[in-house]
Amino acid sequence: MASFGWKRKVGEKVSKSAVQQFKAEAEKTEDAGPGPGNEVDWLHAIKRRRDILLEDCAAKSQRLKDEGAVLAEHGRHWEAIKKLDEAIQLTPDNPLLYEMKSQVLTILQEVFPAVKAAEMAVKFRPLWWEGWQTLGRAQLNLGEVDLAVRSFQVAIHLCPSERTLWQEDLEWAWRLQKQHLATKEKTRQEEEAKEQILHAPELERDYDFESDEVLAACVAVAERQTRYEELKRTAVVIDAEGNIRNVLAGEEGSEDAATPLQEQFVKVRGL
Amino acid sequence: MSTQYSILFKQEHAHDDAIWTAAWGKSESDGSETIITGSLDDMVKVWKWSDEKLELQWTLEGHQLGVVSVDISHNGSIAASSSLDAHIRVWDLDSGKQIKSMDAGPVDAWSLAFSPDSKHIATGSHHGKVNIFGVDSGKKEYSLDTRGKFILSIAYSPDGKYLASGAIDGIINIFDIATGKLLHTLEGHAMPIRSLTFSPDSQLLVTASDDGYIKIYDVQHANLAATLSGHGSWVLNVAFSPDNTHFVSSSSDKSVKVWDAGSRACINTFFDHQDQVWSVKYNSKGSKIISAGDDRSIHIYDCPM
Repeated sequence: MASFGWKRKVGEKVSKSAVQQFKAEAEKTEDAGPGPGNEVDWLHAIKRRRDILLEDCAAKSQRLKDEGAVLAEHGRHWEAIKKLDEAIQLTPDNPLLYEMKSQVLTILQEVFPAVKAAEMAVKFRPLWWEGWQTLGRAQLNLGEVDLAVRSFQVAIHLCPSERTLWQEDLEWAWRLQKQHLATKEKTRQEEEAKEQILHAPELERDYDFESDEVLAACVAVAERQTRYEELKRTAVVIDAEGNIRNVLAGEEGSEDAATPLQEQFVKVRGL
Repeated sequence: MSTQYSILFKQEHAHDDAIWTAAWGKSESDGSETIITGSLDDMVKVWKWSDEKLELQWTLEGHQLGVVSVDISHNGSIAASSSLDAHIRVWDLDSGKQIKSMDAGPVDAWSLAFSPDSKHIATGSHHGKVNIFGVDSGKKEYSLDTRGKFILSIAYSPDGKYLASGAIDGIINIFDIATGKLLHTLEGHAMPIRSLTFSPDSQLLVTASDDGYIKIYDVQHANLAATLSGHGSWVLNVAFSPDNTHFVSSSSDKSVKVWDAGSRACINTFFDHQDQVWSVKYNSKGSKIISAGDDRSIHIYDCPM
């Protein structure tokens, strides 16, 4: 977690294990330091060092990832994040790590970082449908319904035989999207009705106060007011067949029952 | 007539999102050339190709989710499109109006193809069934069962005898249309088959797969004739030239490759797209190639004749 001091600690960004390894290496080289007489082939020495280091990074990252998975499975989510972050530091272009991190962050309700992590996963591996699924779920949690619908579509296009994508992810997100649009439309109607009440066209004329026109105008205004009240009282609801209806609020409260089970899981994917 | 392969025209930002599918048709009545594209932005666009440039003719609205597949009838007058909203829509290309909308049931419309007589539309489905819809009736007329997995790709042989389907598990099925019998089942690839196409003489079947290979089969004997490598990633689409001599492939490695059908060698590679290239087609003469993909652009290439 972030520390809340005013001054950053030196070397905060460097992983602890890397520092330890560096120290150990440094001690070793001091012991075996070359005497003043012998020439050292620095060019090749450096090259060789990097080879060894690269292999170490991959293996270590893999170990950290496995540890992270185990921790996440046992509900120790923040510790899992720590492990995954360390693994990401070692192998910054491994999409599996970002995808896992995104899932764990989603469980922790860290919605924005979850989207960020999943975005990295699809950036490094755009043909991986599971990365897009995770991104879509993270976007849905953030309330970005349109983006989630898009991500789920990309995932389905890559792997159309995956039923959960159709039946849970896309269907649910698509229904939310429709509801969102219907709600927006209703708000617009409401605004319009309100506008007409405040500036009724009937009142913008001069009247002969003894005529029937006054009565007609009053009726029109009253009608409009009723319509506005009605709009205010209704809520947008989508029934099981996906049809959008406006119903009186309070009449239908069991709408949430249609919510699919939000499966929360962390698994090591792909490998 | 050019003597070498070159890029002729680019339509940048042809759609608001990735283009997943394209088709090239020619009108029998006036000889004009029409290109249709379908995109993740839910739109189908109809373009006229004349004087070596593209002109947008219609934007067809109706699909509520991304458009997976489009095809043009062989007389060039109508088009069909299928989308993730599980609807197949048939459009009149002269008026830009929708003629029919067919509900294919949940998740039962993927890639589609007009039959050679343009009276039917075949589409793959979730349960390994190929559903055949009547264009006039607007209804499912019959289906062919592969007893396999999700069907990703579909093709009629130009002589009208065969129908081939490619499944997500890499299995290819070839049906005899007249009898409705399953003639051959080929374990072609170990990975999804995104596209397949017959040669114009209906002798060869070319398949494209996520394993990065293109395979050529002899249709009559169901023999594997060749396996071609060259793409660095999934092969997403293949199309045969009308003169039987070449075919073209597109890939998620962002390239478009032209192959010689005789020597089975890659003779040209276009590296002009910025992202995955989902669709590639020849025009009716075989003088041009169209490609489109995730970078939202349409490219037209010149081919030597």
